[in-house]
Amino acid sequence: MNDQGIGARTLRVEDKRFITGRGRYTDDINQPGQAYAVFVRSPHAHARINGVDVQAALDWPGVLAVLTGEDAAADGLGNLPCGWMVRSKDGSDMKMGPHPVLAQGKARYVGDPVAMVIASTHEGAEAAAEMLQIDWEELPAIADVGEAHGGPVVHDDIPNNLIYDWEIGDRAQVDAAFGKAAQIAKVEIVNNRLITNAMEPRAAIGAYEPGTGSSTLYLTSQNPHVHRLVMSAFVNVAPEHKLHVIAPDVGGGFGSKIFIYNEECAVVWASRRLNGVPVKWTSDRSEAFITDAHGRDHISKAELALDNDGNFLALRVNTKANLGAYMSTFSSCVPTYLYATLLAGQYKTPSIYCDVQAYYTNTVPVDANRGAGRPEACYLIETLVDQAARDIGMDPAELRRRNFIPKDAFPYRTPVALIYDTGDYEKTLDEALGLVDYANFAQRRASSEAQGKLRGIGVCCYIEACGIAPSAVVGSLGAGVGLWESAKVRFSHTGKLQVMTGTHTHGQGHETTFAQLVSTKLGVPMDDIEVIHGDTEKTPVGMGTYGSRSLAVGGEAIAKSCDKLIEKGKKIAAHLLEASEGDIEFKNGSFGVRGTDRAKSIGEIVFAAYVPHNYPADLEPGMEEMAFFDPPNFTFPAGTYVCEVEIDQNTGITTVERLVAVDDFGNVVNPMIVEGQVHGGLVHGIGQALYEHAVYDDTGQLVTGSYMDYCMPRADNVPYFEVHTVAGTPCTSNSLGVKGCGEAGAIGAPAAVINAISNAIGTHVDMPATPEKVWRVLQSRQMPLAAE
Amino acid sequence: MDMAGEYRIKAPRQKVWEGLNDPEILKQAIPGCEELDKVSDDELEAKVRAKIGPVNAKFAGKVTLSNIKAPESYTISGEGRGGAAGFAKGGANVQLDEDGDETVLRYDAKADVGGKLAQIGSRLVQGSAKKIADQFFSNFARIVAGEEAEGESAPEKAGIVDAKAEAPPTPPKKAPSEPTPPEPTPSPPPVSEASSSDSADLAANSSVSNMFSAPPTARGSSVAARDNFMDWGRNPLLWISAIVVVGIILALIV
Repeated sequence: MNDQGIGARTLRVEDKRFITGRGRYTDDINQPGQAYAVFVRSPHAHARINGVDVQAALDWPGVLAVLTGEDAAADGLGNLPCGWMVRSKDGSDMKMGPHPVLAQGKARYVGDPVAMVIASTHEGAEAAAEMLQIDWEELPAIADVGEAHGGPVVHDDIPNNLIYDWEIGDRAQVDAAFGKAAQIAKVEIVNNRLITNAMEPRAAIGAYEPGTGSSTLYLTSQNPHVHRLVMSAFVNVAPEHKLHVIAPDVGGGFGSKIFIYNEECAVVWASRRLNGVPVKWTSDRSEAFITDAHGRDHISKAELALDNDGNFLALRVNTKANLGAYMSTFSSCVPTYLYATLLAGQYKTPSIYCDVQAYYTNTVPVDANRGAGRPEACYLIETLVDQAARDIGMDPAELRRRNFIPKDAFPYRTPVALIYDTGDYEKTLDEALGLVDYANFAQRRASSEAQGKLRGIGVCCYIEACGIAPSAVVGSLGAGVGLWESAKVRFSHTGKLQVMTGTHTHGQGHETTFAQLVSTKLGVPMDDIEVIHGDTEKTPVGMGTYGSRSLAVGGEAIAKSCDKLIEKGKKIAAHLLEASEGDIEFKNGSFGVRGTDRAKSIGEIVFAAYVPHNYPADLEPGMEEMAFFDPPNFTFPAGTYVCEVEIDQNTGITTVERLVAVDDFGNVVNPMIVEGQVHGGLVHGIGQALYEHAVYDDTGQLVTGSYMDYCMPRADNVPYFEVHTVAGTPCTSNSLGVKGCGEAGAIGAPAAVINAISNAIGTHVDMPATPEKVWRVLQSRQMPLAAE
Repeated sequence: MDMAGEYRIKAPRQKVWEGLNDPEILKQAIPGCEELDKVSDDELEAKVRAKIGPVNAKFAGKVTLSNIKAPESYTISGEGRGGAAGFAKGGANVQLDEDGDETVLRYDAKADVGGKLAQIGSRLVQGSAKKIADQFFSNFARIVAGEEAEGESAPEKAGIVDAKAEAPPTPPKKAPSEPTPPEPTPSPPPVSEASSSDSADLAANSSVSNMFSAPPTARGSSVAARDNFMDWGRNPLLWISAIVVVGIILALIV
């Protein structure tokens, strides 16, 4: 009936403006008489600020203001908070050091903003910034999380830089199980630090209006309402009802644009101080490397206990997490509730224990990056399972199959607090193994070896918890906010629709997916539907986009709004058709009387609602409904990724020959968009596995601070992906049966690639598996590994 | 980080020492040197403009000199601030050894750079560092050797030999108020006698090991660092600081 609605590979409506250069990003926006801000940043990883002499900068032509941490304190600006309280084993609260908008007393990482120079031109601001004299007293710095305990203290009153020492699971039970183990597999792994590198650098324009006392902020945000909340309630740049936050087109987020950053608070504050002069700041790429929150950076030791038949008995994990110099907005939950709760993976491991120590270091703050905790968990489990398979000489795919949670065991409660609602892990494994022709891998390996190349195959069975999140659950775990979502669906006289969502789209294609959803729900054509997002004065209060939540939570709110419209439409139709409401059924955009051919189109009903000349006496006019949706549970997308690599023994260069991804996302609204999301995630995951690594030297200087040294994956680094979505197990936490797909590729790909390399060279190589690392392993061997 | 290097200059030690103590000669020899002021017997301030990849910075350098054993050795330490470009600081022990009528200048240095300089990365900084170093030593050697080798044609006596010359030296800047050095002749840049035992670490930057060699400690730690991939991180610093150290050395010798 509807060839564009749910299930159709409808082309993305937003792409016309993106492809033709008509996107409108924050830096495209200019305000009359705007000034330009440049931030003076610490070149030292750790240094006391004994004084800032602003006079020379102030005297520079065109300079309007030079603001420092002292000015921010004097104006009563608050600190940037971390919104999730995590408690240590001993019950004590996590230790959060103050995070001022401009550094006060000390600078704690290279890039820490110390002063803000505002001038009538960008060039003038940059030149004046050079004039600033800062009296630095350098202090010893710590960058490596492995040495943070007992290292130089980043926040004076926080000993050993230890933010929290957290645990989950039953340690005694786990230790007992290890006592009975026939086999214990062990890995020590580093989850490499990543720099997000969204295509569009961050930008912000703050504009205060003295006449009304209100402020407008344009910025690159994944969640404008969360920005408004935190900036008003904690940073005090403006009262919430007087702060209008607009996130227009945003060129990629991947997590890095969730957080509340110094610069965007500063421009609003500065515009108020300048009595309404709009203040604009746009990050350059070098600045992005040292100010956008970084991702990952874990060091972990993990042990898996098995019995003689290869059944998992218990898992024991210790992780040290680097949170950087300050606690970013959601940093505390990433290495805890978004990580350790996923350590069961797809397996029925009866007992699991994990403890996590999170540390301050003199590095850029670390927070959520595509997958946020779940890629770290998946990489750990799936490389550990492969290690176990090597130890006991069992096929890694079969070892996984043996330990899967059986499909009739759902809903399944894991030993680490989650309840998986649905899943069929054998189905995705079998389909993936079939697609890659796992059975005949030996032949492909032989033909590679005939050309002097090594070939390896790697399996990764991932699971993620997304559709973030049930408010009561995250609240009990320390979240400072609820993670419901909102929507409003508004008909106009002529039957056209505006769909307002609290989520934000920055590449995901919501304007298409949400319109498809509404088109199917209400039986109106796609062309009659406009999706509106990213403006706190146009959309209902919402929580934004992250954690693959937009369709599973935000989409469900839209669906509920549509249901309310249908219910109201039935009342109107009953009146117009002189039937009882119970006899009215809504199908394909038409309200009909059951068993008759009497019907009114939804357009007629809408018109009657706005021109209620003949209308139910007890019914409000208008056709506009909104809904909030708070999910009862997370959603649990899962699947199997199989990677085949070829390795040149002379250079150590790894080529990803194939990557087969089989995902169970539940129901799918737009298969084309879903595949695109998976493609992007896979590239992200291959980037972490082979190329990307943020490296600090021992003085805390970021030495991979440009694309010369920080290697991003390119089109010629990835294969033609074989992406398949199984007719999966619909999610039971929302009426759409959808699970979310934005992060899966980045979660599953790293372990698949690394397991393939380990399979080729016979030993684990940590990420990123650069040609140098692989070459050294190969050189350390007597002879090339023969096919097992 | 630690570095060591060695240059052979075709002039007797006393001449070299005097040359290194002559602010005018240094000013001519230091590429991009805009100011060179002797604050006291053991203190010097210099302003040097250096373009490193995209970073074009004027370094205000302050240098102090100690353990002076004329004409043999001294210890130098200094710091240069490049504003938004970041900072460079370090120290070096410099030794002049006689070898017939030639002089071998050896130094071992420690240097750190920060801010944008550290961030930019090795690929861009490398070239700049080697160029600046080569320029200084070839300029300096030509001036010193030229002065002492009057009447003789430069090529044989002047300049310094380099096993692996990369770019021909550029002539010293002529400051009108100063004695013009002999017309520059195409003498190759400085010799680079450094152990290449780090060539494995530096495989990606093969030219590095030729000019500087990391002393054993650095090699040891870089071996340890291989697994966590830190040696990639070392090279940029090694190179950026080449600039600094060279600048410091000169200045310091005053």
